[in-house]
Amino acid sequence: MKNKNYYVMIAGVGGQGSVLLSRIIGDAALMKGLSVRIGETFGAAQRGGAVHSHIRIGKEVYGPLLMEDEADSLLALEPLEGLRRGLLYLKPGGIAVLNTRKVYPIDVNVGAAEYPDINSIIEALKKLGSNIIYHDFTELAGKAGTTKAMNVAVLGAYARMIEKYNNAPFDKDTLLKAMKGRVPKRWLEANIKAFQLGYEVADREMKETRSYLI
Amino acid sequence: MKHVIGLNEPGKRVILQGNEAYARGAVEAGVQLAAGYPGTPASEIMETLALVADDLGFHAQWSTNEKVAMDVAVGSASVGARSIVAMKNAGTNWIMDMFSTVVYGGLPGALVIVSADDPEAFYSSTEGDTRFLAKGVGVIILEPSTQQEAKDMTKAAFDYSEKFELPVFVRSVTRISHSSGDVTFGEIRKERNPIFFDRHYKLPFRYDVYGPYRYKGKSGPTAKHAWQLEQLGKIRDFMNRIPFNKVEKGEKDLGIIAAGMGYAYVKDALIKLDAVGKPWILKIGTPYPMPEDLLKKFIDKVSKILVVEEGDPFIEEQLYSFMKEYAPEKIIYGKTKHKMLLRYGELGITQVVKAVAEFLKLPYPDVSLERKRLKDEISPLIAPRSSALCPGCQHLGTYWGLRFALLKLLSKYKGKWKGAWIVNGDIGCYEQGGYGIFAKEIKPSTEKVSKRYIFNNPYEILDTNYIMGGGIGLAQGQYHAGYRDGPIIAVAGDSTFFHACIPALANAAYNKAAITFIVMDNSWTAMTGHQPSPSSGMTATMHPSKKLWIENIAKSLGIKNVWTVDPYNIKETEEVIMKAIETSFNEGVPSLVVARRECALQIARRASRKGIELLTYTVNQDKCIGCTLCVQLGCPAVGWDKSKKKAFIDPVLCVGCDLCAQVCPVKAIVPAKKGIKLSDVG
Repeated sequence: MKNKNYYVMIAGVGGQGSVLLSRIIGDAALMKGLSVRIGETFGAAQRGGAVHSHIRIGKEVYGPLLMEDEADSLLALEPLEGLRRGLLYLKPGGIAVLNTRKVYPIDVNVGAAEYPDINSIIEALKKLGSNIIYHDFTELAGKAGTTKAMNVAVLGAYARMIEKYNNAPFDKDTLLKAMKGRVPKRWLEANIKAFQLGYEVADREMKETRSYLI
Repeated sequence: MKHVIGLNEPGKRVILQGNEAYARGAVEAGVQLAAGYPGTPASEIMETLALVADDLGFHAQWSTNEKVAMDVAVGSASVGARSIVAMKNAGTNWIMDMFSTVVYGGLPGALVIVSADDPEAFYSSTEGDTRFLAKGVGVIILEPSTQQEAKDMTKAAFDYSEKFELPVFVRSVTRISHSSGDVTFGEIRKERNPIFFDRHYKLPFRYDVYGPYRYKGKSGPTAKHAWQLEQLGKIRDFMNRIPFNKVEKGEKDLGIIAAGMGYAYVKDALIKLDAVGKPWILKIGTPYPMPEDLLKKFIDKVSKILVVEEGDPFIEEQLYSFMKEYAPEKIIYGKTKHKMLLRYGELGITQVVKAVAEFLKLPYPDVSLERKRLKDEISPLIAPRSSALCPGCQHLGTYWGLRFALLKLLSKYKGKWKGAWIVNGDIGCYEQGGYGIFAKEIKPSTEKVSKRYIFNNPYEILDTNYIMGGGIGLAQGQYHAGYRDGPIIAVAGDSTFFHACIPALANAAYNKAAITFIVMDNSWTAMTGHQPSPSSGMTATMHPSKKLWIENIAKSLGIKNVWTVDPYNIKETEEVIMKAIETSFNEGVPSLVVARRECALQIARRASRKGIELLTYTVNQDKCIGCTLCVQLGCPAVGWDKSKKKAFIDPVLCVGCDLCAQVCPVKAIVPAKKGIKLSDVG
């Protein structure tokens, strides 16, 4: 009996709330009575560096790290970081939620590197075999009251996707409950709205049965 | 209660970060004093303890450095209190003087030292394995493999320390400290150790290493050394009887010795490989002293051994010397003679799965060749992301001022300074001035002549960078050795200044080094998560405290030329730095510039709490001449549109610091919306 565990990869840059997102998902798993490990790696700065979280959920998990092609799902808060981690960790047939709002690396700004075209990022993730939903979730969260709730908007879209794909060990309501337990009170309302808007975006995309959804 | 770790709810199950789990272990043990200095990946241990200290009634402090924290904790244990001191690997280097001395006689109260190593050097200058330091001193080392064990071991460490009256060393690594897992709470110890002082408690002259304590025909330190070794003998025996060391039964004559994260990865690997015919496992929770009775039982069952541990081959080397006598014919695989694992970098799950598969002769479940080819096709798309200072960081202003001050001075004094300046870095956010641009390839040169390098961003400004407080000392050595090809600079932050720069600055004044020292004072230990420092005006537990002024300290150390400047004023910053360097050179004495402005993140947070809308800027695309000066500032919020050849500002990232507007020569950078300028938030 192997690999009944569930794995999530979160990718973004510092300040986008990937750590909070990983805790929300961890809490949701805990509510289902499962063991959780979350491994975080972030850049040296408080803001702007690449950040990624490995989440391992199951009856028996020990270490925090995913292996290549193990992630059942990828939550990408930034496109370039989504591709960086997706390429390494996303399994064929996995799901990806991608925020299309770019955060340029300093390497691109000083002309030492080029930021890939957003379509080529989406294409690449599709080629890797993932069911992907992409959207400007930063803008969407802005509509909910604060762009800071972008991470929770992504979570909302993810909550819709796992209703169809993935065999996730939790559902929308558990994620929502876990989210409410983690976000600061003064931002709760905006976050609930962001979650809902994210959920609706995914719902629309899925109803229109876009080609990138298998 | 400001943090869940303070709740007295035995049986409660929560997700804790490893560092929070260490803190919870101390809480359950009834800790009475906690001290430390911030350092990734260890900071949250003290930070979390500080949050619950007032409610639970113990003392928690950020000390000015790890050595001071250690001395404070030793003092606390000398009057009987349960004490903990926490630090990162580099900090452990700092405590060695006291650590190696206090074991000569030990302490009546518990002293637990938590040291967080950083294999792969994610956040550190080195991958240093501090277990060697603790073994050299001769104390118990505990090494957890999960967050649950991090809590349990820390709690037990207090008991072990009191049992043997010696410090206990808990070795963490990044993947424990900065990973999270489910932890079930235990009871919080209600009783508190009595606070007392008796200079002859159990051992005459207990806390006076030179005192005439006589033992086994010796006196003074030698007698106390003999006492320590006797304690160590008792400890060795005890190691076989604690739950953290155990043998797990196998089905074939292959055995794996695994410790800490190594154990976690081995367990995951066996599930992943779906191994039929399990190997024997010796789980080591105490890499030193090794549980020798268990070890013998384990060795008797197996013909080959794989050792899996995070860091250097610490257990493996001990095993080699043990096996030489006990079972020299059995082969040891690991990181030394029969290599299955790398000796550098972090262990990681992938490497362990490969090694375990090879050791057990099982197929490794690799991805297909076809998929590898697909990945090779995609990977050139991915641009690197170098580490950068935060949007609106005041260090951007200081580095801009320094960069242009140096360029102008070199052209002004062409005849005098033929070669390059030297900018010595230090540890803190501003160390990113030495991270470089990952996308650039650098070829080393071979000639022994001074050379100047041109760069167009703040991330290549530092020429040297090693350790806390190192830069200011290096600068003096360069000067006194006779380097005169350009100005010699050192930079440091405020927390680093208090940590390690004060003796070095006194040395600069005393020995007359014509160098310029720039302290970038942002009022916090920012890089590790904004812990308070002596420049913050508050303690670890958020009680008000007197703010120390770096200028005053420097003056009383004998630095007569001192300037203070606001790095949000770019022009003035550049002028002041130029003047400081010139003065130092002309007078043959050190100059000090304090570039003071609170960390932009803290100001922005305060604005958000107060409901203040911050100004953001935008680039007027018609006015922009594409000179790239604003991009060269190095702010992550300022981007460059390659096709339009114009700059732009990310409105989500911009915090309204105004720096880019100041460097724009054509005033193309203007407010995008109404709001308060960051420097006006207060």
